[in-house]
Parts: sequence; C-alpha cells; structure tokens
Amino acid sequence: MRFAFLMSLIVSLIFCPLSLSLGFCAEATSADTDRNKTLSTVSASDPLVALTTSLQSKLVKIYGAGGPKGLESYQSGFIVSEAGHVVTSWSTVLDVNAIRVVTLDGRKDDAEIVGMDPETEIAVLKMKQGGTDFFNLKELDEPAVGNRVFGLSNLFGIATGDEAVSIQRGVIMALAPLSARRGRLKTLYQGRVLVLDVMTNNPGATGGAVVNLKGNFVGMLGKELRDEQTNIWLNYAIPADVVSSSVRRILEGKTNASPRSQQPVIAKRPHRLLGLGIVLIPDVLPKTPAFVDQVVPKSIAERSGLSANDLVLMLNDRRIDSRRSLEESLASIDSADSFTFLVQRVQELVRLDIRP
Amino acid sequence: MLQWKRIFCMPKCIDSQRFFKRYSSSCVLCTLLFVSFASPLIAETQPFPQPSAKVLDAQQKRIQAIAKATQSTIGVFGTDGQGGGSGVIISADGYALTNFHVTEPFGNRMRCGLSSGEMVEAVIVGIDPTGDLALIKLYGRDDFPAATIADSNTVRAGHWCFAAGNPFVLATNLVPTVTWGIVSGVHRYQYPSGTILEYTDCIQTDAAINPGNSGGPLYNSDGDLIGINGRCSFEKRGRVNVGVGYAISINQAKLFLGHLKSGRVVDHATLGFTVGSDSGRVVVSNILESSDAYRRGLRYGDEILRLDNREITTVNQLKNILGIFPSHSRLRLQFRQDAKIIDTWIRVTPLHSPEELEEIANGKPAEASPKETPKPNEKEVDDPLADRFEKRRGFANHYFNRHEIDRVLGLNSDAARWSKQPNQWKWSGKLRGEETVLSVILKDLAIESKFGDETRMIEATHGWGESVESKSLHCSALALQLWHQWRTIGPRNMGESTYLGTTTIIGTERPVDFTKVSVGEIDAFFYTASDNGRILLIEIEANNRVDRLEVYFDDYHKQGDLLVPARMETGFGLEARMICDLDSLVFASPTGGEL
Repeated sequence: MRFAFLMSLIVSLIFCPLSLSLGFCAEATSADTDRNKTLSTVSASDPLVALTTSLQSKLVKIYGAGGPKGLESYQSGFIVSEAGHVVTSWSTVLDVNAIRVVTLDGRKDDAEIVGMDPETEIAVLKMKQGGTDFFNLKELDEPAVGNRVFGLSNLFGIATGDEAVSIQRGVIMALAPLSARRGRLKTLYQGRVLVLDVMTNNPGATGGAVVNLKGNFVGMLGKELRDEQTNIWLNYAIPADVVSSSVRRILEGKTNASPRSQQPVIAKRPHRLLGLGIVLIPDVLPKTPAFVDQVVPKSIAERSGLSANDLVLMLNDRRIDSRRSLEESLASIDSADSFTFLVQRVQELVRLDIRP
Repeated sequence: MLQWKRIFCMPKCIDSQRFFKRYSSSCVLCTLLFVSFASPLIAETQPFPQPSAKVLDAQQKRIQAIAKATQSTIGVFGTDGQGGGSGVIISADGYALTNFHVTEPFGNRMRCGLSSGEMVEAVIVGIDPTGDLALIKLYGRDDFPAATIADSNTVRAGHWCFAAGNPFVLATNLVPTVTWGIVSGVHRYQYPSGTILEYTDCIQTDAAINPGNSGGPLYNSDGDLIGINGRCSFEKRGRVNVGVGYAISINQAKLFLGHLKSGRVVDHATLGFTVGSDSGRVVVSNILESSDAYRRGLRYGDEILRLDNREITTVNQLKNILGIFPSHSRLRLQFRQDAKIIDTWIRVTPLHSPEELEEIANGKPAEASPKETPKPNEKEVDDPLADRFEKRRGFANHYFNRHEIDRVLGLNSDAARWSKQPNQWKWSGKLRGEETVLSVILKDLAIESKFGDETRMIEATHGWGESVESKSLHCSALALQLWHQWRTIGPRNMGESTYLGTTTIIGTERPVDFTKVSVGEIDAFFYTASDNGRILLIEIEANNRVDRLEVYFDDYHKQGDLLVPARMETGFGLEARMICDLDSLVFASPTGGEL
C-alpha cells in the first residue's frame, strides 16, 4: 500500500505540470476555433488585404542617429492622434535634433520628441503635420493567448519613401512578464508582454504596431532582445494597455523626460563631473554624446559601477542627449544627494545608483 | 478534471499491489510512458466542437493547393548528389526555374529530385546572373507535373502564400517542405548586396525561407506559382529565417523565360540615363547622348512620370520596373519637359558588356590561352546528356540556341518550298495613297530600288550601314533582301545568328520570337510570329548612335504556293512610316530570264 501511495504521489507530482499544460492546450484550442472562423473568411476573399491596406497609413518610418553595424539608424512608429503624435520605441535612433518621420504618402516630416517614459522605453514624437489616420489608444481590445495578430513594421528598413511597411502574421503564444525569461535582459521594461510565434522583432521593427484581426492596436513591437542563456531572440510586443497608459503619462507631462523641459535649478553645492570621477570625451560638437572616456580609480563613479565606454542616457528621469545636458542636469543636484544614471553599455542598458 | 481522474485511476486498474512491490521502478516508468502516450488519446475523447463547414472547406482547399503545388517542386543537386537547392517545373517537357546561385556551383549538369522520390538528370539551359534566375531542363519524362503560373501583379500584401522546397536539404525522400505565411510586401527593391544579384519588384513574405529553399517556388493560396524564392534578410541572426524572405516575381521570370530558353547568359537593361530625387519628383540627372531616350527627346532635368505604364514616384520604383525587363526590350516612357507631357517608347540596352557578363557567369575572365584538347573523361563519355550541352562564349548552353532557331524556322509550313526558289527576284508595289510605283530588284550582287523615277543601287553586301545611317527610305530594299534570305537560305547561312528570346512589338501584346543575325556591317533583328513563324518586323542596326531601320510586314497572303506579305511599313525610331502595298513578287526563271 505504501508503494501505491508513493506511486500516486510521484505520478501526481509529475503529472501536475502535464495537466497544467493540457489545460493550456484546451484553452488554446478553443481560441483556435475562434480564430479559424475568422481565418476561413479571410482566406475566402481578401479582407486581410483590405485590413493591411487600411492600416498602412497609420504606420510611419523613422530615421535618426545610428549607422554602424548593429546600431540601426531607423525604426518604426505609429500615429496615435489627429494632431500627428507618433508613438515609437525610445532608442538611440532618437538622439538627433530633427527626427525624420516618413508617412505612407512619402511625406517627410521633422518630428520633435514630446517625451518618453523610462519605465516602458516608449517615446512620443510630434510631427509638424497632423495625421488623418491613427490608432485610437482609448478603445483597446483585450489580447488573449491564441489570438491571430499581425505585426506591421519597417523591419530591416525595407520600405523607403512612399512604400508600405512590412506585414507579418502570427499568434499570441503567451502573455507573460518579460522578466520571467531566463538570462539577463537588455531592457528596463520587465512587465507583461505579448509573446509572438513570428519573427517580428528584427532590426528596425521596434515601435511597430501589432494589431488583431479587427485591425485594432494590441501591442507595440519592442526592441531586439535575446535570451543570453539560450541565445534565442525574443519576439514580443508591449501590450496596448501599457503603451496607452505610458503615452497618456507622457502627454500629461507626468514623465519628466524631455531634455529641457524645465529651467534647471542650480544647487548650491552641485555635483561636478570631476568630483564624481567621470571623464567624458571632449566637448567638440553642439551635441557631443555624454560618453565616458575614463573613470577615476576609487572615485564615486567607480564605486557606483560606472565604467569607461558607458554612454549616459538618463539622469534620474531626465533624458541626457549631450554632454552639456548632463552637466546642466548635474548642476541641479546637490553633491550630498544620490541620483540614478541610465547608461548604455555596448548593447545593454544598465541602471546605476550613484551614491556620494 | 475528468482527464486527471481517468489517468490517475489507470495504474490501479491494471496493476495489483504485489505487482507494484516487485516491479516498482519499471512500473513508475511504464506508468509515466503510458500517461504521456495516452494523454492525446484521452484528449480526443473529449467532446470537441465540430468546426464549421467554412473552416473545413478552407482546410480542404489548403490541402489540395499544397498537394498540387508540391508535385511541381523539385530539389536541385549536383551530379554527385551533393549540394542542394530547390526549383519548380514550369512545363510538361521538363523546363524548370531555379536560382542562378543554386546552379552556379553545379556548372552545366545537375540532378533533380521530384516529390515522387524519382531522381532525374538535368542540364543548364540559360542563366540570368543579375536577376538570379536559371532555367534548367529535366529529362526522362514528357509528362512532368508543371506548376500553374499566376499573374504576380495581382499579389498584394496580406495574401496568404506558401513556399515549397528543400530547406537545409532535410528531405531525404525528396518530398518538399512546405512553409505557410503571408505576403509581407510587394514591389520591393533589394539592393545588390556585395554581389550583382539585384532583386527588383520582388515579393516579400514571412513564410519561412531558409538556405536550401533557394530557387524554389512561392505559391499563392490556390497553389499557383507567384515567385521564385531566393533571398532573405539575415544580418546578425545567422543564416536562418527571421521572418523576411524575398521571391523574384513570376512576372519577371515570365519576361525572361523566352530569353533563358535561348541558352544565353541573359542580361538586364539600362535606360541610358540616371535619375535623382528632387523634392518628391524623379528627374533625369544625367543622360547619354547615344541613348534611345535622348533620341526620343528626353533631356537633363526632365521629370520621369511613368515607365511601362507604371507611375514613378521614387528612384526605387524606377529601378524596380526597369529591373524586371531583359535587355533589348522596348518600354513605354512618359516624362514631363517644361510644361509638356511626352509619351514615347525607348529601347533599353544591355546593363553589362559581353566581357563583364562572361566574367559574372564564369566567375573569372575566360582563359585566353587555348586549352589542350580535353582528354575524354569516362564520366563525361557516360553522361547521358552529353549531346545536350554545347559550350560557347556568351552562352550558358549553346545547344538550346540551335534548338530554338530550328524551332522558329520549323514554324513555317512552306519552308521546303522557299528553299527551292532562285535567289533573283523582283518585288513591285505602290506607296499607299499615292501613284508612286515602287520596285525592288535583286540581281547578281546589287539591289536596285526604284521609287517612281528615283533609282538607287545598293550593293548586296556593302554600304548597308551607311544607307541606314542616312535614314533613306530605300533601305526598305535591304529589309526585303533580308526577308528573302531568311526564307530561302535561312539565318545560319546569312551570318552569325543568335536566337534572343521572346519580346513584344509596339502596339501588340502577343510575345514574338526574335533572332539577331549579323550580316556584314549591320545587325539585323528578325521578329517572327510565335505560332506560324511569319516575319513581322525586321530591324537593321548600323550602330547604337542612330535609330534602327524598322520594316514591318503584314497582310500575308498566298501567291502561288508561297506566303508573301502584301503590306510593308518602313520607318526609323518612331518617325512616320512609309507604307507600301506590295502587289507582286516575281522570281527569275531557272534559265536566267530577265526580271
């Protein structure tokens, strides 16, 4: 009898995850039949073509800083307001004075950064001209596992001028927190994402839109990430509700991330670069990047983990777009106070607490 | 929870307590195995909603499309069975399309695997190194399962599609791998990346295209052929699919097919001018004075509006359209000059020099020193297709050029009768709408051309280039001479003759065969009907700086037992033509009577 008990215990232990996975399968199958209903209608005629065509004018191609291999100077974005607000991924591509945004009609617009949300790495741009067609971020569909979705982005920068961006089809495989993935991640956003079964997150795809069969926005394609343990590239999107609330916060001015949104307050005894032990590359350009050339041994900077070749992207919630903006921002912090740096180290984003 | 209970109960049902005691460890294993195998079975017993008829129909349609399409998909290997790409059969007699980069390492011979598991021998026919296309011919059957060819211009982003082929050379049984997806974009332009392979106007898909898929077909959801897969965006993720594959549109392949059948190293075209983008307009930034476009009036700074009836808004779009045409094509061009919009046709010339093309095709310049007589190698002697390959400069396989010329000549039903006609003749007729009488007489070594009182003597062999350059309408006489020679002695006895492929004549849709014959100082281009071999147009080119003489023949009728044209139109470039009604053709009697 003891054996039988042991047996059942073992079986139940082993079977537990199995039953869970079966449950998962069953869920997926019911979603599958749902999907098939729409699938048969799309393959019967061309509503999918109509859908694609109708969405194209909401997508934009974005060009900015970058160029060297592995650091693309282009990405994707989508229009979210009649006034011409564009949502995209906050990246080094946006580190230029005039961000070039190209709409489906081939029109080139120099857009400005309205703001960005460091938590989600989402940026909102504003084109000079409004967009007639846009995604409504106020009415959102709840994405579910098994949903048929389409990714629209200018991956690999394939489309130029008035050419339409690329469309890919996939299914939401899971709704899971990004932080649950094994290995170190090169992103700050660790929240819930739509995990996709299609290779959407390619160079230039970030900022692209994921839509459902109704053409409604369900997520924004994130940056290229690979799991460092398995070396697998992740294909995922930041869910629409997260994007939407992030965009709302940016538009309401609740994230203070624009480079010169406020007059800097000068602290009495401010931080200075040398005092911290930071040597930046010489200031030779109007917008010399805040790139760390050297870190003085045993300095505050070294103790806090800063190292040579780091690029300072943010100080607290303030975006640093040049050496000058870093100096200005430091000048507003008293040298007794701690602050946070967000730096780019090769391809990785690292957050550092700088404690005097 | 139902599943849970049932599985949980199973060990109890089949095993006794004693049994457990004895074989506890193996029992655990067995149970686990049973559980893992049984679970799908159990899942099946669950009440499952019957899918709607629409879903089942769609599924059935997909199964049929895949079944049909996989038959036409082939694996392409070297004669030693090594390497591997894909291809698609396009005719029952065994012509198949693949990528140039697939056939290149195999040289002139390859073996192809059909989805039935059959291995057949194949030989190279023609190559297009710039467009990355190759035509091969399979032997051993006359009922090869050919793909249904679609119109790729109707393909749109969002259409379902699927690729078939041999990715990673996985299929040891030769049954193609099918990957389903959608069309991600159309009319894509892909720059030559470190090579000359340029993908223009191509189809982008998220159906997985991997190494080994190259040269294989992309089908629409009906299983009809829309493209030839050949390229992917890879970048940093290694050589595996990342959701972006490109296929050469089948419409581009169709435009090249006739050319590829000629066994030549086929070339793409150049316009003779370059363009730049200027505030949303595409304008001419440089133009060669020797180009046909210049002769048609195009100048620096003019805005290009349409090419081949397609709107031009970007430089890429112009490259896209130009890229799908083989050299020697004549394309419709619309441009704006000052306030005037001009519609015209321009001839596009080869993109590469013959030397460049040879280098591309063979990897390096042709060896100058003559090789020793090759020792017959046993394998070559045994090659069942040894007689289907002929090496010649400028050709992938000259055998097929001979074959095509024979085919074109064989289309004429009265070929045998013409070959018996004496080579002394007189055509007479009238200029349309005028009283001017025209006659052209060939005697001995001169052609006498008479328009009313005006007479011109042209030597039968010399001075042709000069006559064409002078744009004299007496040049019609030259065309009549060439017309006769084509029918009596045939192109091979006239000069170096090359079948070029199929093209269209301005104002018509139907493809016609065209053959180039170098006669003395000029090149003559014969455009012949693809159904009956009648000569529809003869062009004479003196050099590339002047317009070709164009002589159109029409209204064929029977005179005796010979078919002759009743109408001849002569012109240069697109200038107004002289129209003649030809009344009679008289031959010198065999005894040598006066004409």
